[in-house]
Amino acid sequence: MIISRRAALIGAATTGVLPVSKLLAQGTQEVVIGAIYPMSGSNAQVGVDARHALETAAEIINTANAIDLPTAKAAGLPGLGGAKVRLVFADHQADPQKGRAEAERLITQDKVCSIVGAFHSSVSNTVSVACERYAVPYMCADSSSPSLHRRNLKFFFRPAAHDETFSKGMFDFLDAQRAAGKKIETLALFYEDTIFGTDSSNTQRKLAQERGYKVTADIKYRANSPSLTAEVQQLKTANADVLLPSSYTTDAILLVKTMGELGYKPKNIVAQAAGFSEKAVFDAVGDKLDGLISRASFSLDMAAKRPSISYVNDKFKARAGRDLNDNTSRQFMALLILADAINRAKSLEGEKIRAALAATNIPGSETIMPWAKVHFGPDGQNPDADPVLIQYLGGKWVTVAPKDVAVAVAKWPMNP
Amino acid sequence: MTHRQLQLVLLSGVVIALAILPRVITDVYMLNVLVLTLMYAALSQSWNILGGYCGQISLGHALYFGVGAYATSVFYASFGITPWLGALAGGVISMLLALGLGYPCFRLKGHYFSIATIVIAEIGLLLVHNWDAVGGALGIQWPIGPDSWVTLQFARDKAPYVYLALGLFVITWLVTYWIEDSRWGFWWRAVKDNPEAAESLGVEVFRSKMAAAALSAFFTALGGGFYAAFVSYIDPESVMTFRFSLLFALPAVLGGIGTLWGPLVGAAVLIPLTEITRSYMGGSGNGLDLIIYGALIMIISLAKPEGILSLFHRNAKPDARP
Repeated sequence: MIISRRAALIGAATTGVLPVSKLLAQGTQEVVIGAIYPMSGSNAQVGVDARHALETAAEIINTANAIDLPTAKAAGLPGLGGAKVRLVFADHQADPQKGRAEAERLITQDKVCSIVGAFHSSVSNTVSVACERYAVPYMCADSSSPSLHRRNLKFFFRPAAHDETFSKGMFDFLDAQRAAGKKIETLALFYEDTIFGTDSSNTQRKLAQERGYKVTADIKYRANSPSLTAEVQQLKTANADVLLPSSYTTDAILLVKTMGELGYKPKNIVAQAAGFSEKAVFDAVGDKLDGLISRASFSLDMAAKRPSISYVNDKFKARAGRDLNDNTSRQFMALLILADAINRAKSLEGEKIRAALAATNIPGSETIMPWAKVHFGPDGQNPDADPVLIQYLGGKWVTVAPKDVAVAVAKWPMNP
Repeated sequence: MTHRQLQLVLLSGVVIALAILPRVITDVYMLNVLVLTLMYAALSQSWNILGGYCGQISLGHALYFGVGAYATSVFYASFGITPWLGALAGGVISMLLALGLGYPCFRLKGHYFSIATIVIAEIGLLLVHNWDAVGGALGIQWPIGPDSWVTLQFARDKAPYVYLALGLFVITWLVTYWIEDSRWGFWWRAVKDNPEAAESLGVEVFRSKMAAAALSAFFTALGGGFYAAFVSYIDPESVMTFRFSLLFALPAVLGGIGTLWGPLVGAAVLIPLTEITRSYMGGSGNGLDLIIYGALIMIISLAKPEGILSLFHRNAKPDARP
């Protein structure tokens, strides 16, 4: 009896201990790229969506598509004799240590030639250092902390905007409105107390001062707070020309509900995405948010100007059952940019791919993003990854800025 | 040879085997798993001092782990002080913290003590989250430098970390070994079994708990310092969350709570299982790795509630003392 228990235990302990069949030598027929995302835990949905986005990108790289995107037209990568891209996914569970261990495993065991990741900025931090140490390029698709590209890493590349660029885009819009004769003198900052809200408000405070706006309310609140009544009272008293909230989903809903209860209708809201780009918020309190403006990395209605967007979105939707959003569009584009560099490098060597990435020069029209251009500074950051501003009008999102991608003029003020 | 001498021989054997292992295994990933296993064995051994021997179930040891990790990182990243000293400083701070917190908390009995430890650790997490001088929510990045035993930074080589973690485990094991046969050890087990009866026999219950907490916190913080050097980046979420408190208790509970070898046996089963299932099955996003993990814990707790170690002790009474 006891022996059988012991045998059962040993059996259970060894389940899954044996590595899944190692891949045989591949030659150049296959380009193996690692993807590190949260596949379990509270952000598992992000990882699952990322998988769909990256697989959509791999499909477009590996097959011939008549669209104007890098590496889309030919099947596979012509620079490597038509080699196909194969993705290997790993789960980091939002833990920087696990992220690093997975990066090292993908590099040393799966022999990936580069890595894409990782949603959480903290995980991108350790993964990029591991990549640096193994001289493997790291494509930071969707982590937006500004500190990431300020560490003098040679193998770090981020085609998308970081949080400071996002705030700058919002202030550029305010400047344009002011130039067009709208009255904008006072601002109210309203932000949660984690890394996202703190970074966001610091940048906004600095920009407000530089560009001559008066901050009449500067309110930090505890994330996931049970009540925001006192905070909203302060906002109501200040009644600034523009309210700039940096909030996640549940706080955003509570904020809007509390504003309704206290009878406060802000003149304008320009939000730092996050909660205010989540469907859940508009399902719950969308009726009170007509005219809200949010910054975004991506907007579906740009498809009117760029047919490739609908093409990609259809393919993505077939896999994921939902439209592309801020995150998935960035993940998709990151893999295409990486594949473009590998194609030009004509090699799977880290140094050569790095050199090709550094020489990247893709016009904005050949992306699905509102970016002006894709190229990288010495710090690995794309300086021309402009965000867009989208306005929620009649239950739909409409791009209102910047001018070259806008499809409508912003409704201003939101609540007269 | 007495039972105690046999234990020391066993330790020597295990240490020699583990020290040779990095020469045999060269795979970076497997060495990473080995480092984590030894680290959690050491941390669980530290937890075991308070939770296993003294019977005070703390679910807030992430606080001491975090203090160790933060002290080491701040001293190194801001002042260039070697992590060896930083970890020691973290250990001393944690020890004082444990004494300060123990003073009110050890008046609480049973489950209330456990609840208090959870709450205090959460408060610690929130404080660090909002404390800009230690990086706040951004955390602390260790400067990237050349490989060195002074800064404990090794770019690709994992073997030094294996030796460090092994060293930490051996120290915690030896401390536990010494305690087992000391007056403190007997007092603590008496406190665990029945504090009222122990007090009536002249055991200083309150002082026993304080001493166990201080010792346990000190070594937990050393582990935190090691972890910070190992990962080279920490933020509040990656060193101070409740998850860690559980991870320190689980190996001891799984292997055999209040035993000398329980933490190592528990960690040797638990850590490779979680790491390897996550790596080779977690990428699919279907959660199979977590199902296996949960199932194993259920099997052990149903078949052997006293821990895996009890499989090897079926003739001896679990609590028999010489």
